[in-house]
Amino acid sequence: MIFGGSGDLAARKLIPALYNLALQRLLPATFSVVGTARKPVSLEQYRAELHDAVATHSRTKPLNEEVWRSFAEHVHFVATPDEAGYAELRELLDRLDREVGTQANRLFYLATPPAAYDAIVKAIGEQHLRGETGWSRVVVEKPFGRDRESARELTERIHTVFREDEVFRIDHYLGKETVQNILVMRFANAIFEPIWNRQYVDHVQITVAETIGVEERAGYYEQAGAMRDIVQNHLLQLVALVGMEPPVAFDDKAVRDEKVKVLRALRPLAGDDVTTSAVRGQYTRGFIEGVPAAGYREEHGVAPDSRTETFIALKCWVDNWRWEGTPFYLRTGKRLPKRSTEIAIQFRLAPHQLFSRDALAGLEPNTLVLRIQPDEGISLKFGAKVPVQGVRIRSVNMDFDYGASFMVDAPDAYETLILDALRGDATLFTRRDEVEQQWAFVDPIIETWARSGSPAPYGAGTWGPGEADDLIARDGRQWRKA
Amino acid sequence: MSLETSFWGSRRTGVADLERELTRLRRAQSAHAREQGTTVARASVLNLIVFADREAHARRAARSIAELALRHPSRAIVVLADRGTTRDADGRIEMYCHVPIADGARQVSYEQILVRAYGNVEDRLASAVIPLLVPDLPVFLWWTGTPPTSGRSFGDLVGLADRLIVDSSDVARPEIMLPRLARLCAQAHGLFGLTDLNWTRLTPWREIATSFFDVPSWRDFLDGITGLRVGFAVDMDGRDIHPSQALLFVGWLASRLGWRPLEAFAPSEAGGLLFAIARRDGARIMVRIRPRFERGLAEGDISGIRVQAMRGELAEFVVKRQPDAAHQTATVLLAGERRWERTMPLPSPAIVELIGEELSIMGSDRTYEEALRALVALA
Repeated sequence: MIFGGSGDLAARKLIPALYNLALQRLLPATFSVVGTARKPVSLEQYRAELHDAVATHSRTKPLNEEVWRSFAEHVHFVATPDEAGYAELRELLDRLDREVGTQANRLFYLATPPAAYDAIVKAIGEQHLRGETGWSRVVVEKPFGRDRESARELTERIHTVFREDEVFRIDHYLGKETVQNILVMRFANAIFEPIWNRQYVDHVQITVAETIGVEERAGYYEQAGAMRDIVQNHLLQLVALVGMEPPVAFDDKAVRDEKVKVLRALRPLAGDDVTTSAVRGQYTRGFIEGVPAAGYREEHGVAPDSRTETFIALKCWVDNWRWEGTPFYLRTGKRLPKRSTEIAIQFRLAPHQLFSRDALAGLEPNTLVLRIQPDEGISLKFGAKVPVQGVRIRSVNMDFDYGASFMVDAPDAYETLILDALRGDATLFTRRDEVEQQWAFVDPIIETWARSGSPAPYGAGTWGPGEADDLIARDGRQWRKA
Repeated sequence: MSLETSFWGSRRTGVADLERELTRLRRAQSAHAREQGTTVARASVLNLIVFADREAHARRAARSIAELALRHPSRAIVVLADRGTTRDADGRIEMYCHVPIADGARQVSYEQILVRAYGNVEDRLASAVIPLLVPDLPVFLWWTGTPPTSGRSFGDLVGLADRLIVDSSDVARPEIMLPRLARLCAQAHGLFGLTDLNWTRLTPWREIATSFFDVPSWRDFLDGITGLRVGFAVDMDGRDIHPSQALLFVGWLASRLGWRPLEAFAPSEAGGLLFAIARRDGARIMVRIRPRFERGLAEGDISGIRVQAMRGELAEFVVKRQPDAAHQTATVLLAGERRWERTMPLPSPAIVELIGEELSIMGSDRTYEEALRALVALA
């Protein structure tokens, strides 16, 4: 069941993901997709639109027409402009249960703008769309609320129909292979965990950089800004995965318990801390890859005096035994020079240097970098002797490249997450207490910013405003050349 | 002007497309290697940006880097920007890439990207280069030709680099250009290093000049130098005067021995220079830099040096390039009498080797910087 079935998300991500799952023979034998939206469209037209969408957006190309045809036979559409629509929807679901034996197992996917969530959840409840026999689960897209209070209210609303263990709050970053690999790397290897703490780690840098601007999402973005769009969910999830203690098991409860602990240990930034530890920016005119790019305030749908931030740099502290005194520097932005998401663990320098200053000129601190996109991989930087007479030291990278090592394309995050939701594994989804903790961290910053000041301008195609460089330079450190 | 894709690879629509293509090429290479029972390492140790304003220079540079792939596997970004050859008033940038396989380097993959700029791209060139840099690796910028020290894209690219490599051999007024570059680098970056391939060419001359004074009984002459002559090669009609190697040599001696300026450079015969420097004890040293025509020498290369010194008796320390240009003869004359002579091979490294040597050094070369400072004081 996809609410918002004719929407952008369904066309670009959900349907292509389902089709690719079908291609990999990972979908259950009896499986139907029901799309719904307010605007009516004929079934033929709906299927034809999805066909074109999959042909364009699928990660595997070209489209396997035979698989698609069989997949599309199980795709349905019901328009739900009013209650009668929902009644029709229930009839269809019941009929499918009888005909194809889906046993009333139902996954509801809320792929609409958040404003529609309330009405949809209400309708699911009132129209008894939950099956009577099988399981029912609901997947909720981000943003989950717009502050802690609204997130709590939304959860309460959903809880009138679904139990917490039936709620799957999606953060597609968690579906990325390399993000899951953070856990594998940390907890399947013996060599990293002993040095994964304040004793050895000087600081952590997490970067989520985009080259795109707001595109057609200005309406949403003007309200959200980078804080709600990226920091509250993706960035804080990465902080949690890097910072967490080893869970007692690899299951939804144990993993999420540990993540929540990290989020609770995040030192709140409020009032004066915001001035010293947080920087916001907004892009102005510039160049991306040699092509002129408009400024944020010139974008279609953006107020000419908008104070919405498109860039954020933060210095955070995780106040616990493991991380006391080791800062986490976070930055994210739109219209940065390069699309790149990475986590860099920078280790302390060797305690005593044997080698002369000249020999050490090319040495940088050991750094472990987890590249999440693009060019997924892991690299470790260490000093090596340059092969010449005498001692000259140079930092080199030991590089593991996902693509070249496994020779396969990683599945799309949505494939992983939809499959997990179908199987009922919530490990990679955000739990109620997690999402509320995330808001609890960002809310005071948003409030402080709303009260006064405005974002610092930065040219499109640069690494953010100079204030961001100052933020980290005050500690004698610098942002990585990502 | 259209580009030859067999040399530069295929044209891509943007950075994402280009990275996808490189991944595909690497994977193909890796699959091919597996069939042969070997592996290909994607071993990049540095980013190398090469700037050229003529395609011939860009090609020559690209070939040199490919030869270096085994020693310095890199991501090479060749920036070719010839201003004024196009009608595009606004400027336009295209990107090409491929993974050339260097001779004997089948186990290392090396990536070459061409950033082709048309028209005026001063304001946007850097924005096309930044996303191509491999994160975390040092950035070398090799600027072929004379750097436009006031140009915006030059400044932008220098801002990205950890080290700037230039070749002062074809710079007309090196005594002005080199210090200007040094200042620029110092401002752009705290850790910035400036390298001059001409300085690297000077190494055998510096080595041999030093070796004279390793001999204990001759060391005293260092404090009694009265004259210095340095010859450099010019073409037959003496039109192209490139004294930068010779000047760097003088700057080096001056910085090492604490000489101070006494008078400004004065032109002398046929493009040479004649001037006096004060020794540490204040005595005058006459310095003469003379152009000489010598067959088989590249313009600007040092042809010989002669150091005169007085300490009780007159001593002359002479180094000459042999007519075959591949050997160097060092001679010591005491009171006009030949005391010692030795002939050694004189390496004349090609650009490839010079670049290769420079790429292995990360920090700045303090000896070079001091030589340059001395030169600034003299000029």
